[in-house]
Amino acid sequence: MTSESSGQSRISRRQLLGSAALAGGGLAVGSALGGVSPAFAAAAAAASNPYPSHPTWTFTLVNHVTTSEFFVPTRYGAQDACDLFNCKYQWVGSVNSIVSEMVDAMNAAIDAKVAGIGVPVIDGNAFIAPTNRALAAGIPVIAYNTAAPTTTAAKNLQMAYIGQSLFQAGQLMGQQILDKLDKGNIVVFNPSPGSLNLQARANGINDVIKKSGKPITVDNVASAATLAEAVAAVKAYYAGHPNVNGMMCVDTLTMVGIIEVMQQHHLKGKIVTGSFDTIPQVVSGITSGYVDFTIYQQPYLQGFLPIMELFLYKLSGGLNIPSSVETGLSLITKSNIGQFSKYTDRYEGSSAAQKVIPMSGPISVAAGDYPPTQLS
Amino acid sequence: MTADLTGPADVLSVDHIQKRYGAVLALRDVNLHLKDGEILGLIGDNGSGKTTLLKILSGFHQATSGQVLLHGEPVVFRSVSAARHAGIEIVYQDLALVNGLSIAENVFLGRERYRGPLRTLVHRRMRKEADEFLGRLGLANLPGMTEDVANLSGGQRQAIALARALYSQPKILLLDEPTAAMGPRETAQILDLVRRLRDEQHVSILFVNHNYAQLLEVADRVNLLRNGRIRFDKEVEDTSLEEITELVISEVRRALARQTGLPLEDAQ
Amino acid sequence: MSTDVSAPQGRSRLDVTPPTHVGGVARVSALYSRHREIAAILISVLLFIYFLVRSGSLFLGSNVATLGQFIAPIAILAVGEAMLLICGEIDLSAGNVYALAPFIVMYLSQDHLPVLLATVLAILISAFIGLVNGLITVYLHVPSFVTTLGMSFLLLGIVLVVTNGATGTPPGGNLYADIMGGGNWSELIWAICMVVIFAYLLKWTRFGTYTFAVGGNLNAAHEASINVARIKIWNFVLMGALAGLTGILDGVRVAALDPTSGGTAIMFSAVAGAVIGGTSLAGGSGSVIGAFFGAVFLETLYDGFTLEGVSEFAFDIIIGAAILIAMVVNIRFQRLRVGRRFEELEPEGDEA
Repeated sequence: MTSESSGQSRISRRQLLGSAALAGGGLAVGSALGGVSPAFAAAAAAASNPYPSHPTWTFTLVNHVTTSEFFVPTRYGAQDACDLFNCKYQWVGSVNSIVSEMVDAMNAAIDAKVAGIGVPVIDGNAFIAPTNRALAAGIPVIAYNTAAPTTTAAKNLQMAYIGQSLFQAGQLMGQQILDKLDKGNIVVFNPSPGSLNLQARANGINDVIKKSGKPITVDNVASAATLAEAVAAVKAYYAGHPNVNGMMCVDTLTMVGIIEVMQQHHLKGKIVTGSFDTIPQVVSGITSGYVDFTIYQQPYLQGFLPIMELFLYKLSGGLNIPSSVETGLSLITKSNIGQFSKYTDRYEGSSAAQKVIPMSGPISVAAGDYPPTQLS
Repeated sequence: MTADLTGPADVLSVDHIQKRYGAVLALRDVNLHLKDGEILGLIGDNGSGKTTLLKILSGFHQATSGQVLLHGEPVVFRSVSAARHAGIEIVYQDLALVNGLSIAENVFLGRERYRGPLRTLVHRRMRKEADEFLGRLGLANLPGMTEDVANLSGGQRQAIALARALYSQPKILLLDEPTAAMGPRETAQILDLVRRLRDEQHVSILFVNHNYAQLLEVADRVNLLRNGRIRFDKEVEDTSLEEITELVISEVRRALARQTGLPLEDAQ
Repeated sequence: MSTDVSAPQGRSRLDVTPPTHVGGVARVSALYSRHREIAAILISVLLFIYFLVRSGSLFLGSNVATLGQFIAPIAILAVGEAMLLICGEIDLSAGNVYALAPFIVMYLSQDHLPVLLATVLAILISAFIGLVNGLITVYLHVPSFVTTLGMSFLLLGIVLVVTNGATGTPPGGNLYADIMGGGNWSELIWAICMVVIFAYLLKWTRFGTYTFAVGGNLNAAHEASINVARIKIWNFVLMGALAGLTGILDGVRVAALDPTSGGTAIMFSAVAGAVIGGTSLAGGSGSVIGAFFGAVFLETLYDGFTLEGVSEFAFDIIIGAAILIAMVVNIRFQRLRVGRRFEELEPEGDEA
């Protein structure tokens, strides 16, 4: 996915350890097979699959919110990768981010001697031991969607991270706010303050705004993980702060509440709003002008790439070392929302059908999107 | 008919007992005495206060006014165990057995045998003692002492409840409808046991029963409790089934006459 | 008895012949009523065999320790719930005490209390929460379902406010961690110890007998001069302590404390384990050994199917079906004894 460059300065992308070509290659294969049924695709893949025959390997994707809508495209991505490479994947973990359930599931997968494991590291300590145990048993482990915090990074030995750089994503949002606002007060909603992934984004926002020196105050307010409570939280805040200049959220559900409040009080165009991810309400919010921007983290790739990398690692006996992939610093605004709003598709999780999505036109790339080659 | 004054042969008697539950008057003015070594049958309509009276005698309730006398001495039973200490045991209509516990456990409920610093229960000893005791009562061919009482027949359960009451060797036994819902054979066995308790153990028994014929088989004397008072007190040999039946029916007729306004056919 | 009334040989005058079926059927049902854990043990064994056949050596080996870690927390909680269910009550707040207790250890330890003392205090506080549940239920006559439901929300709120939603790390050095759930077998050993202790309590102490009596027939218990209030309250206290202990063990095992962990999900699993193990929801009968095997059954399902590669969504279908099957087995065992309460007809003609 590309992001629009408006000529203004932007945070450059985090250094990729692997190659973006890896991501591009995966997408190319996926879209080449677009437009056919999954079964036929699998058959076609098998027929044109250059790889030697191998037992059907099982990869375990542990997850912290197994029933969440957000991960639906992730599971499509994992399934497509499995179909391509003649493997199987298993989706286990916890419904409500209960760490012990995730650890239990991971341990069972290790005992089952699966071919590889992907896990969102939602706690800095809990996954250290299971990861070590997996590695000791010769099972590769990749972190996806949430990475270990820097404080415990030295002890968390997952081999790569595929997902969004959470702090930088927050910084990106902060930068957008600075572009649009010179002074005033904004609110940042967080449904679970203190939880690793969302707090990192919130910290990024606060960090950029503080360092800019601009007279902008930030209220960090807790919303909630369920829609009804999130809406209530936003309404309660607005009732006490009707002159707020901007309302952000570090999740995606809270934006629904923000949109509702804006509709109620006719705030369209009057305040700055920003969100994460692309649930339908956010997409239509951007199209209709309620939401200024959202930051996309490519959930489909968060399922596809881990499977692919684990497969290649297993196939090559460890020669193809997994690479970290930054999937998530795409800025989506009204100018590039078109692809999202026009189609229901497998990549957004809104439809299970395999199809080819036509390109929208010229591709715009911002300077610094890909790391330059260092000569000296 | 009024009751005699408390005599020297009375083991348990009540004088002018009244019991109120809030605004409801359950017993008006009850004078009853149970003689040493006799079976006193107590009959009465539903709601006449029989169960309330039994509960007062057994220490479960206290009377609102009036006196309970044990061997002529006024006593107040503040609790069932106080009454038990005084030698009074009661067997409720619902038998107060715990389903899920065994025969032995039910017999010993509340007074288990234990030993050692951890007060470990000695199940084997309790089973043995219960088995022996039930045997001595003439209750053979019961299932093993470990059998769940829920699996026993009505007659067997009654027997266990009786055994439990008898285990502390009471001198006064209060029985609330012990043969209710029992077939003729088991009824006969219970009545026989009650008789033997009086004859061989010299236990004084207050026996509440709806079945007047059965009552006349075992009782020495019959009292009728009506409207919170004792209204009949005769030795069994001085009365008959006809007289008692008439006594009971006349009240029904009277109530019917009151309701319909028709003249009373037979007056008391 | 002053005069010995000895029963004559053969059929005595007071012959109360039990009208039951003879033979194997009656024996199985009688066995079940005395040992309610039988159904749970049977289905657990069958499930083990199933997974052994399907996953072979994978099910053994390192998975046994993993399986133990699945089972242990549910087993300990199920023991506590079984005790409460037997005396006619329930604790819906167990999962929230589970979540709170390890944080108490963490905070006390941050205040420089030695970690062992902090642990004991946390368990005592958990027991105290159980005491509150018991006092409200017994003396304010609020059904325990309602009392503990309210307590569950209260505790959930307290945990979230106190931690601000942030996760924590359990304190303690290596030896502490090894004993308090960190070692591979540590939590399972705790669970087995709890089962042994409580099985002893139930069968070999008056407290156990009275727990059954209070749940089986409250009036009879009163009648037998049993202190009903004390029995119930003690069971609530024990449940609270067990819930706190489990939370601490699990937190140490996973090396992470999470304010949203536990909760109603783990409580329902514990109650399900107790019920599958033969404990009646109506009170008056049950078994803590059965509760242990009920937990074994439930958690072996999770572990075994994860081992097989089944995905989360299919789990719930499987768990639901398995619980239904387990309960049907329990009920069938219970009802094998047909006609137990039917009176025999009188023989015709001759004297009875």
